[in-house]
Amino acid sequence: MTSNDLRDVLNLPSEHSPAPRPNKKQRTGAPRPNLKGLAREVQSLGGDNPIAIVPEVPFFKKRRYASRKPAARWELRAFTNSARGDNGSLVLRHWKRKTDHGPPGEPPQEPESRPSEDGVDTEMKEEKPEDSAFAKFNVRVSVPQYNEDQYQSNLQSTEWTKEETDYLLELAKEYDLRWPIIWDRYEFVPKPPEGEEANGTSTAVVTAPKPRTLEDLKARYYEVAAKMMAVQKPAQYMTRPEFELYEMMQNFNPEQERKRKEFALNTMARSKDEAREEESLLLEIKRILARTERFNEERRELYNRLDFPATDSDINSFKSSAGLQALLQNLMSTDKSKKRKSILGPGDGVSPGGAVPGSAVSESGPNRRESIAAAASSRRDSDARGPAMSAEPTPTTASSSGPGHKKKGSAAQPERRKLSAQEEQVYGVSYHDRLGSGPTFRYEKINKLYSHKSGQQQLRITNALAELDVPPRLVMPTAAVTAQFEVLWGAVTALVDLRKLSDKLEGEIKLEEAKKIERERAKAVLGTGDGGDEEAQGEKGNEKGKEEVTNEDVDVVGEGRQSGEDAGAGGDAAAGSVKDEPGTEKDKGTGHKRSASELSATSDKSAKRQKK
Amino acid sequence: MSQQPLSSSVQPTDIYGGDEVSALVLDPGYCSTRAGFAGEDHPKLVIPTPYHHINGRDLFGDPIVTPRAGFEVRHYMNRDSVVEDWDAATRAWEYLLVQRLQPPRPTPPSKNRLNVGDDGDVEMGEDGAAADATDALEKPLAENPLLMAEAPWNPPKAREKAIEVCMETWGCPAFWLGRTPVLSSFAAGKPTALVVDVGGANISVAAVHDGILLKRSVQRSPAAGVWLSSQIRSMWKTNEPKVDVVPFFMVESKKPVEAGAPPDARLRTFDFPISDSFRAFEEERVVKEFKESVVEVWRGPGRFMAPGNEDYAKSQPGRVFEMPDGANQMWREQRYRVAEGMWDEAAAYPAASADEPNPSKAQTIPALIKAALDGVDVDLRPNLLSNVVVTGSTSLLNGFNDRLNQELTAMYPGVRIKIHAAGFTSERRHGAWIGGSILASLGTFHQMWISRHEYDENGPSIVEKRCK
Repeated sequence: MTSNDLRDVLNLPSEHSPAPRPNKKQRTGAPRPNLKGLAREVQSLGGDNPIAIVPEVPFFKKRRYASRKPAARWELRAFTNSARGDNGSLVLRHWKRKTDHGPPGEPPQEPESRPSEDGVDTEMKEEKPEDSAFAKFNVRVSVPQYNEDQYQSNLQSTEWTKEETDYLLELAKEYDLRWPIIWDRYEFVPKPPEGEEANGTSTAVVTAPKPRTLEDLKARYYEVAAKMMAVQKPAQYMTRPEFELYEMMQNFNPEQERKRKEFALNTMARSKDEAREEESLLLEIKRILARTERFNEERRELYNRLDFPATDSDINSFKSSAGLQALLQNLMSTDKSKKRKSILGPGDGVSPGGAVPGSAVSESGPNRRESIAAAASSRRDSDARGPAMSAEPTPTTASSSGPGHKKKGSAAQPERRKLSAQEEQVYGVSYHDRLGSGPTFRYEKINKLYSHKSGQQQLRITNALAELDVPPRLVMPTAAVTAQFEVLWGAVTALVDLRKLSDKLEGEIKLEEAKKIERERAKAVLGTGDGGDEEAQGEKGNEKGKEEVTNEDVDVVGEGRQSGEDAGAGGDAAAGSVKDEPGTEKDKGTGHKRSASELSATSDKSAKRQKK
Repeated sequence: MSQQPLSSSVQPTDIYGGDEVSALVLDPGYCSTRAGFAGEDHPKLVIPTPYHHINGRDLFGDPIVTPRAGFEVRHYMNRDSVVEDWDAATRAWEYLLVQRLQPPRPTPPSKNRLNVGDDGDVEMGEDGAAADATDALEKPLAENPLLMAEAPWNPPKAREKAIEVCMETWGCPAFWLGRTPVLSSFAAGKPTALVVDVGGANISVAAVHDGILLKRSVQRSPAAGVWLSSQIRSMWKTNEPKVDVVPFFMVESKKPVEAGAPPDARLRTFDFPISDSFRAFEEERVVKEFKESVVEVWRGPGRFMAPGNEDYAKSQPGRVFEMPDGANQMWREQRYRVAEGMWDEAAAYPAASADEPNPSKAQTIPALIKAALDGVDVDLRPNLLSNVVVTGSTSLLNGFNDRLNQELTAMYPGVRIKIHAAGFTSERRHGAWIGGSILASLGTFHQMWISRHEYDENGPSIVEKRCK
C-alpha cells in the first residue's frame, strides 16, 4: 500500500504525479504469444504466466530459403606489390571475390598459359595487375644523405673513414635504425688498398677493423645526422620539433649511455638477496605512499565535512545557538503548517502563520536543489545540511537582522514592523542579546542565581527575603516580576556582601583597637607616643579606602536596579532609592537592616505595582 | 539473417593481415622434415629425414620397419643440420613438395595420345615458344612460392644451393629462407624473443629482435635429442642388469618376465645381413620411446647432483619400461640423471663414443642462454628474458620448463622471467614450420620474397643479401 493508494482512499488529489498510474496488467498481457489452435479460455487458464507450450517454429526451412543466393564467385587474381620496388616483376596470385566492375582478369579456364615464364610477362603487358593492399604498410626511415663535398667540409672525423660512415648509414637504412640489429650486423671490412677483393676476408684479419660499440655507432650516426640537418636548414629556421630532434642528436653523450648500460648490467647481476631487499624497499615505499594517500584522503574528507556549502546569503545568523534555535522553531512551524495545508488544501490556510510557510516552501524548492548541488562534493554532510540550507532563506530568518528573536504567544511576524515601546510592552516583546538553548522556566532562572552562592550566603539572602515578605519562589513569575525580583535579589546580595565586608572590617578594627590598647598600655609603661599616632593615621586611611570600595559596589548595584526599574516603569521610586543609598552607606553597623528594609520596601512597592 | 558471415567482398586488411598466395613451407630438420601449405596451422607432411636406400634406389617418406636385403638408412644432413648430400636432399624435398603436396598433373596433350589426328600423327608445337612453355610446365613448383627454414648457422654455400635448387630445379616464382629461431618466435607470436630450441641434433639459443635474428647471440650445443639417446644407451650399458637394446623387428615373440629378470623372447633370424644403419635407426625408435615415456628433467631445487637430491629421487615412485623383448625394469633416479647432462656437464654419463663428446660446461643450457644474452645489447636483455620461447621436441621432456625457469631465476634474480612454451606437443615439435606458415601467408611479407626475376639478375648470391 503506497501513499498513492492512501490518497485514493481519502479522495485526496495526488501530490506528485497527477497523471494516472500506468496499468500494470496491460503490460503483462501484451507480449503473450498467440498460440494457434488453442482455445482462448484454455490459454487464459495460465493467468499471467503463459502456458508452457513451445510453438513449433520451422527454423531450418526458413533459414534455408532465406539464404538462397547465387554462390559468390571467386577468382585467382594476380597482384603485384609496389613495396618491392621491382616494377612488378613478381606476380603472385591470390583468391579474390569476383567483382563485376573489377579488372576482368584472365579467364580461369586456360590455366596452362599462366604458369609459363613468358606468360607472366605477357600478362603484365596485357594489363597491369592490381597492387597489393599491403604495399602501403611499407615504411622506410629517412637517413641523412650527403655528397662528397659535404662530407669533406662537415663530416670529417679522425675515428671514421668515409667508407665506414657510408657503411653505417647503409646499415641504418637497411635495418630501420634498429640499433641492436645494426650493431649486431656491423661487420665493416676496410677495403684493401689494392683490388684484391677476392680474398678480402683474409686481409680483413690483417687490417683488424676496430670493434665498434653500440654507442660509437650511435654517436657517429647522430653526429652525421645533426650536421646534415644543420647544413640543410640552419638551426634558427628549424621548426620546433625539428629543433628538438636536432638538439637531442647533438647532445647525445656516448659516455653517459655507456655508464647507464653498465648500471643496467649491474642491476641485472644483482644477487637474490639484493633483489629481495630492493623489492622489500619498493614494497615499503608503496606502503608509505598508500598511507599518505589514505591520509590525504581522510584529510580531504575531513575538510569537506568541516567545510560548509557556500551560500549567497549571510549565514551569520545561524552561527549562534539562538539563531539555530530560531531556525529549528521556524522549521517546526513550517512543517506543521505544511501538514495542515496539505490536508486543508491550498488557499484554506488563512492564518498568517500558514501563509508564511507556504511561501517558504515554494521558495525553498529550487534552493534545495541548489543545496544538493553544492553538497555534491561533500555528500556526507548533505543530509544534515540540506534542510538547513533550504530553510535558510525563509523570510522569518532571512529578514531578521537582529541576532535573536523571541516569540511571546503570537507567531513571528513576517514583515518587521518597528514597534514602539508602548506596543512592545503591550505585546510583551523583548530583546535579548543572548538566550540559552532550549526553553527554561523563569523561576529556574531565579534558582540559578542562588546556586552561585555559598550555602551561608543563600541562607542570609533567604532570611533577608523572608524579612521582606517575599517568598523565595515567585508565585507568578512574569517577565516584569522576575526582572524586579532579580533587581531585588541583586540588592539583597549586595547588602549581604556589604554586611560580610563590614563584619570583617569591624573585626579588624576591634583587633586593631585591642592592639592599640595593648600598645598604649605598653607605651604607658614605656612612655613613648610617637609611633602610635602614625599607626592610627594609617588605620584611618585604610578605613577610608575600604569605604570607597564599598561605595563603588553599591553604585553598581544601584545602576543595575535603575535599569531594571526603567523596564518595570517604576521611575520615581527608583530615584528615591538611588538617593537613599549613599545615606545607607554613611552609617554602617546598625544601618544595615534599615537600609535593606527600605530598599526592599521600594522594590516591593514597584513589584506590587507591576502585579497590578 | 544476422548470422551471415562477414562479407568476403571487402578485404578486411585491418583485422586480418593474411594474404594467401599458395606458398609452400618446408622445414628440414635433422630428425624430421615438415612440409605443408602456408596459412595452415600444422604441416601436412612430417617424415623422418633419414631416408632408405635399397639396391641403388632411394625411398623417401614414411619409415619402413621391416628389413630387407641391402636395405640401409642414409642421411643427407650432418649433425649440424646442414645438408651435405644435396642430390638426396633435393629428391627428398621434391618427394614432399611435388609428389605429396601437389595434385596429380594431367599428362600434357602432346603425350596423352588423345589428340591423334587422322593421319596418326600428333599435332606438335611448331615454334620454340611452345616448347619453352612445356619446359616451364615441367618445372614442378612453378605456381608456388617456397619458404624454407634453415639453421641459424647455415653456411652461405648451403643457402645459395638451396635457392639454386628451388629456382632452377623446381622453378618456384619466389623463394625465401627463414631462420629457425625467427620462425619459432613468430609461431609464438613474438617478434622479440629469446628462442631456446631444443631439437633433435642441436640445441640453439638465439635472440630475435623485431623479427630479425641477432647473429652474435646465436649459441648452439649438440646436447639435444640425439645426444640424449646416446646418454640413455650409456646408462643402459652401465646399468646393473645390463640392458641390451633389441629393436622391434628382431622380436618374433616374447613372454612376460619379472622386473629385472633376463628377457624370455624368441628372436627373428634373417638370412641376409642387416645393415648397421638400419639397426641403429630401429634401435633409435626404442630409445625414443624410452625418452618420451620415462626420462624426466630434474625440476629442482638445485641441481640433481646436489647432495640429497638423488636419494630423494630414489625414494620417489619410478616408472617401468618394457623393452621390445619383454625385459622390464623400474627406473627411478636414472631417468633424471640422463637428462641432467643438459644442465650440468658433470652429471652426464660417459660419452658413448669419442666422436660424440659430452657437452662442455659452456654447452649446457644455462651457459648457452647466458652466452646468448651476453651477445646482445644490455637494454634488450630484460625484454628478452621476459620473452623466452621454448620450442623443439626435446623440450617436451617432463619438467623441462620448470627446470629452465629455475635456472634462469637463479641466474637473473632481479629480472622478470617469462617462459613461453606452446602447450600442444605438435606446436612445440613443428614450431619453426608453423612460424614459416604464418610468415608466408602474411600480406606484408610478399614484398620480401626473392623473386625469379631477382634471382635471374643476381644469381644465387642474392640470398645472402636478402635473407638476413
